[in-house]
Amino acid sequence: MANESEVRGAFDNLKDAILKYDVDAAKRAAQVIVDKGMEPMLAIKEAVAGATGILHERFDRGECFLPHLVMAGDAMMAAGEILESAVPKESIPAKKVVVIGTVEADLHAVGKNIVAMILRSGGFEVHDLGVDVKSSTFINRAKETKADIIALSCLMTTTRPYQREVLEDLESMGLRDSFKVIVGGGPITPEWAKEIGADGYGADALEGLATAKRLAGIEA
Amino acid sequence: MISLLDIAERSQKGRKMAEDSWNMSLFNKISELVKRYGIPNYTSDTSFLNLDDELTERVFHAGVDLLVEHGVYCITTGRIIELTRKEVLDAINESPSEIIVGGGKDARVMKQRKIEGKEPLNFCPGHHAPFTEELAPLVVKNFAQIPRTDFIEGFNFVEVDGREILGAPIEVYAARRQMSWMREGIRKAGRPGLSIVFYPITTRAEVLMAAMDPVDGLRRGDGILTSVLPDEKIEHDLLAAAIACEDYGLWRISGSFSMAGGFCGGADGAIIEGIAKPLTAVICYRVYVNYTGVENVRTVSAMTIPLQPLNWARSVVNQALNRHTNIICMEWVIPTAGPGTETNLLEVAVRSIEATINGANLYAPRHSRAQMNAGQTPLEGEFMVEVSDATLAAGIDRERGSEILVRLARQLKDKHPEPGMSIQECYDLVNHRPTPEYEKIHLKVKEQLASLGLAFT
Amino acid sequence: MLSLLDIAERMQRGPKMDENVWNMGLFQKMNELTERYQLFYPKDAPVFNLDWDIADRAFRAAIDFLVETGIYCASTSRVIQLSEDEVLSTIKGMPKEVTVGEGRDARVLKQRRLEEREQLNHCPGHHAPFTEELAPLVVKNFAQIPTADYLEGINFPEVDGREIFGMPLEVYAAKREATWMRQGVTKAGRPGLAIAYYPINTRASVLIAPIDREAGLRPSDGILLSVLPDVKVEQNLLTAAIVYEEYGGFKLNGNGGGRVGGFAGALGGALIEGIVAVLTGWIVYRDIACWGAISTGAGVDSTKELSLRTLDVWATSVWSQALHRHTNYILFMGAGGRSGPGCENHLLEVASKAVTIPINGANVHITRQSRARMNASQSPLDAEFAYEVATAVMRAGLTRDTASDLVLKIGEKLKGRVPEAPYHDIREFYDLVHHRPLPEFEKAYLKVKEEIASLGLSFE
Repeated sequence: MANESEVRGAFDNLKDAILKYDVDAAKRAAQVIVDKGMEPMLAIKEAVAGATGILHERFDRGECFLPHLVMAGDAMMAAGEILESAVPKESIPAKKVVVIGTVEADLHAVGKNIVAMILRSGGFEVHDLGVDVKSSTFINRAKETKADIIALSCLMTTTRPYQREVLEDLESMGLRDSFKVIVGGGPITPEWAKEIGADGYGADALEGLATAKRLAGIEA
Repeated sequence: MISLLDIAERSQKGRKMAEDSWNMSLFNKISELVKRYGIPNYTSDTSFLNLDDELTERVFHAGVDLLVEHGVYCITTGRIIELTRKEVLDAINESPSEIIVGGGKDARVMKQRKIEGKEPLNFCPGHHAPFTEELAPLVVKNFAQIPRTDFIEGFNFVEVDGREILGAPIEVYAARRQMSWMREGIRKAGRPGLSIVFYPITTRAEVLMAAMDPVDGLRRGDGILTSVLPDEKIEHDLLAAAIACEDYGLWRISGSFSMAGGFCGGADGAIIEGIAKPLTAVICYRVYVNYTGVENVRTVSAMTIPLQPLNWARSVVNQALNRHTNIICMEWVIPTAGPGTETNLLEVAVRSIEATINGANLYAPRHSRAQMNAGQTPLEGEFMVEVSDATLAAGIDRERGSEILVRLARQLKDKHPEPGMSIQECYDLVNHRPTPEYEKIHLKVKEQLASLGLAFT
Repeated sequence: MLSLLDIAERMQRGPKMDENVWNMGLFQKMNELTERYQLFYPKDAPVFNLDWDIADRAFRAAIDFLVETGIYCASTSRVIQLSEDEVLSTIKGMPKEVTVGEGRDARVLKQRRLEEREQLNHCPGHHAPFTEELAPLVVKNFAQIPTADYLEGINFPEVDGREIFGMPLEVYAAKREATWMRQGVTKAGRPGLAIAYYPINTRASVLIAPIDREAGLRPSDGILLSVLPDVKVEQNLLTAAIVYEEYGGFKLNGNGGGRVGGFAGALGGALIEGIVAVLTGWIVYRDIACWGAISTGAGVDSTKELSLRTLDVWATSVWSQALHRHTNYILFMGAGGRSGPGCENHLLEVASKAVTIPINGANVHITRQSRARMNASQSPLDAEFAYEVATAVMRAGLTRDTASDLVLKIGEKLKGRVPEAPYHDIREFYDLVHHRPLPEFEKAYLKVKEEIASLGLSFE
C-alpha cells in the first residue's frame, strides 16, 4: 500500500505528463497508480482535474493555445481509460455529454472551438457538430448521444434567432426538459439568453464551463 | 494565376481529411516552420513595431511554405486544396497593388502602402456592426459624409419591414434591403458613386449574391465581404459567391488576420498564418484588399484589452506583406471598449498609429462585442484618420512610434474595457457631430496624443 | 393578398409535421374531397369535359384543400396554413396577362379564353440537355422561330470542359447558361426575346446567380420555380422567388398538373392536386404561368405502345376549365411525346397533344421527348409543327364537341406504333447552320401534316 508521499508523487507525475501533453508519459503514470493500488478516481479528481485548472489559466493568459488543449485532452483521455479500467464500471460516474455547434447560416468557429476544448478538458464528453448546423441536427445528435447539454454558438446578430429556433423545436417536440441549453457568442447577452428561455449563458469559454458544470450538477 | 474553377475542382477532388486532423496538422506544420525560419518568441522588451527587416523576409517565406507544403482546407467537402509553389508565387506576382472602387466622381483608388510611407491612407469608417432598420440610412449618410471615406461596409440588423430575419427567404430580402439602404445613405450624403461593400446577413451563397443589382443594389464598382476562415479554411458558399462576383465585376475584401491562441499557436505561429491567409484569399476568392495582421482568440470576449505581443506580431505581418506582395493591407481596429469612451479612442489611436507606420490602410473601428446601435459612431472613424494624418505629418518612424505606443499601452494595460454607449447617446446624427461630452473626450485624447508628438492640424 | 414574406414566416413557424404524415394525410384528404364533390369520370366517357359544373366543383375542392390542409414546406417540415379569405384574395391578384422580354421583342403572355379564336403564345424550346459547344447555336435556331414568345434555358453536364459538380461550379454554370441564352437570341436578331432560366439545380444560390442586366437575366426575363408533387414547396425556391419578385423577373411553374397513382390517389385526387399546384405556384412563388396536364397513366415507359389516353384528355380539360373559369391563370401545355424528335411517330404524338391545347384555352409549350436525351430531345421543326396544328385547330373554331372526333382519329393513327428514337444528335436530322430540317425529316413532316389534313384539319 503506497504511502502519502508516494501517492502525491504519482499524482504529480500524472499531472505533469498532462501539462506536457505527453500521452505516453500520462499512460505510464496512470499505470503506476493502478499497479500500486492507489485510488484511481481520486487521481482523476486531483491530478487530472488539477491539470485542467492550470491549463485553463494558461490559456486565459495566452501561454497555451487550442492545440495544447487538444493534446492535453488526448493525454487525459489516455490516462483516464487506464484509471477507469481499475474501477468497477458502476462506480464510475458517467461523463456528462455536450453537443456543441455554431448555428445555421453562421460559419464562425473560433469561439465554439475554444468552448469545445475547454469543456472537453473540463471532463465533459463533447460532440462538436461544426458550423452552419441546423436545428434538427443539434436535436438528433443530442438524442443519439443522450446529451445533457446542447451548447449553441453564434457570432452574427442575424443568426442568433437560430438559437431560439432550437429551443422552440425542443419545445414543440416535447423534448425541452430533456436537455439543458446554453448559448454564447459575440452578439449574445444574458438578456438574450433569458429572452429565448436558454438555461445558461457564457460570456467566454471559462464562464461557459462553469455554467455547464452547474447545469450538469458537477462540482465546480 | 490559378483560376477559381481550378480551386472549385480541387475542393471537390482533393485528398480527404477530417477537420480535427487538419487542425492539429496545421499546428504541427506551423510549429515546424517557426523553427525552420527562426521566428522569434516575443519577449517583454520587443518593440511594438517591428524593426527587423530581415525577419519580414523569413516570415514571408514561411507563409509561402505553409501554403505549398500544407495547402488549404475546404470545410464543405472535407478536402485539401493543394497548391504548387509556382501557383502561389504567380498569385503573389500577378495580383494588383491598387484597384479602383466606386464610380464617377466618387471613385477611389485603393492602394498598397509603404512602410513609414508619406501618403495618406485609404479609409473605411464603418460599419460591420449592427444597426436597426429605422436608423440605417441616416447612419450610413453620416459615415458617408466623412470626406476621406473611400468605401463603406454594410451592417447587420435583426428585423426588416418589422419582421424578424429568419430563414433564407427573408435573409435574401434583408440582403437587398441592406444594399438599398446603403445606396440611399450615400446618395443623401451627396456621394452616390461611393463604393459600398456588402456585409453578409448570413453566409449562405444566395444571401451573398442576392443584392447584385445596379439599379438599387450592388453595382460593378461595389464589393462584398468573403473572408477566409481561421486555420486556413475556405468554404463553398463563399467560393460560389466569389465566382459570381468575379463574373459580375464586384471587388472583394477578406478578414485575413490570424488568431493567436488558436490552431496556429502563439504570436510566432500567428505571424505565419497572417502571411498565408491573405495569400489564400487572393488564390481562392480573388481578394486583393485584406484586413491583415494578428488578433487574439480572446479579443471577441472583450474582457481584456489585447496589447503585446499582438502589436508586434501585426507589425511583422503588415510589413512582410507590404515588402513581398502586392496585397492591399487594411488594419481592422476592434476596440474592446465601446464607443463614447476614452478607452475606445485610446485603443483606436494605438491601432491607427501602428497601421500608418506599418503601411496598412484603415478599416472601420468597431467595438469587438458590438451590440445593436452601439458598435461605432462616425467620430471613431474620423479620429482614426486624424491620428493617422497627424502621425504622417509628424514624420514618426518605427522607433519613435514604438515609444509612443509604449506610453499609450501603459494607460490601457490592465484596464477593464467599458461597454460604451449607443450611437444616439453620444452622437448627433442629424447634425453630424458628437455630443458635447463625447467631443470633450475626443479633444482630451487628441491633446494627449499631441503631447506625445503627433502633429494635428 | 398574402405577401411572400408572410409565406416565408409561415414556412419558418407553421406547425411541424413529418413528411410521411403529410403524404398519407394528403391521400385521405383527396379521397374525402373527391367524395364530397363527386369528382368521377362520367359514364358516357367524353373526350373533352362537357360539363362546366364538374370543373366548378373541382375548383371548390381545391380551395377546400388549401384551407383545410394547407401547403407543406419540405425544407422546414412545416405546414403553411391559409385562411379562405387569404386564398381567395391572393388568387384574385393573378394577372391575366404579363409582358415578357423587351424592346421590339417584348411579348404579352395571356390567358386565352376557352374555345375562342385568339392567337396562342408559344415557347418552342428547351428544358432539355445540350452540350456547351452546341448551346448558343441551338438557342439561335429556336429563337429564329417567329412565333417564339420566350425560350426556356438548357441543361448541360460540363462547362468550359469541366464537370459541373459542387456549388461553386454550379453557380458558374448557371451564369454561363444565361449568357449563352442571351448570345443565342442576339444571334437570331431577337436580342430582347425573353429567356426563362432553367435551373442547373435548385440551390437558391444557383437560382439567383444568373441575374445580371448586362450579361444574364434581365428584369424582363424569367425563371422556372416549380411546385413539387404532393403540394410541397421548398425554401430555396421561395428564396429565389423573393429576389426575382423584387428584381422584376417573371416566374413559371413547371409542375402545374396532377397525377394518378401518387399520394393524391385516384382521378379525383389528381384533378384536385393539379388545380392546387397551380394556385400554390402563385401563392408561394408568384408564378404567373404554368404548364401541366393531368396524367392518369404511369411513367414514361418507352416500350409500351403509343396510344391516346382519352381519360387524360378529359381530366386535363376539367383542370384547365376549372382554372379558366375561376382564375386569371395563364396556362401552357406541352406537345412532346415518348418518341424522339425528327420522326413520324413523334410528329403524330405531337399532333395528338397539340390538338387539345387550344380547346383547353392553353398556349403551346415546349415540344420535347418525354425522356430527354443529350442533344437529341427536340428540334425547331417539331416545335413549329406543334404550333401549326394548335393554330389550325384554333382557326377552324373547333370546340370541345367538334374537336373530339379529330382527337379520336389521330389516336387511331397512333395505334400499333411504338415509341422510336432513331437519332442520337440533333445534327443528324436538323441543319442548325441553315435552320432547316434535313430531307428525311422534312419528308416525315410533310407526310404527317398531310395525314392530319386528310382528317379534316386545314393548315391554310
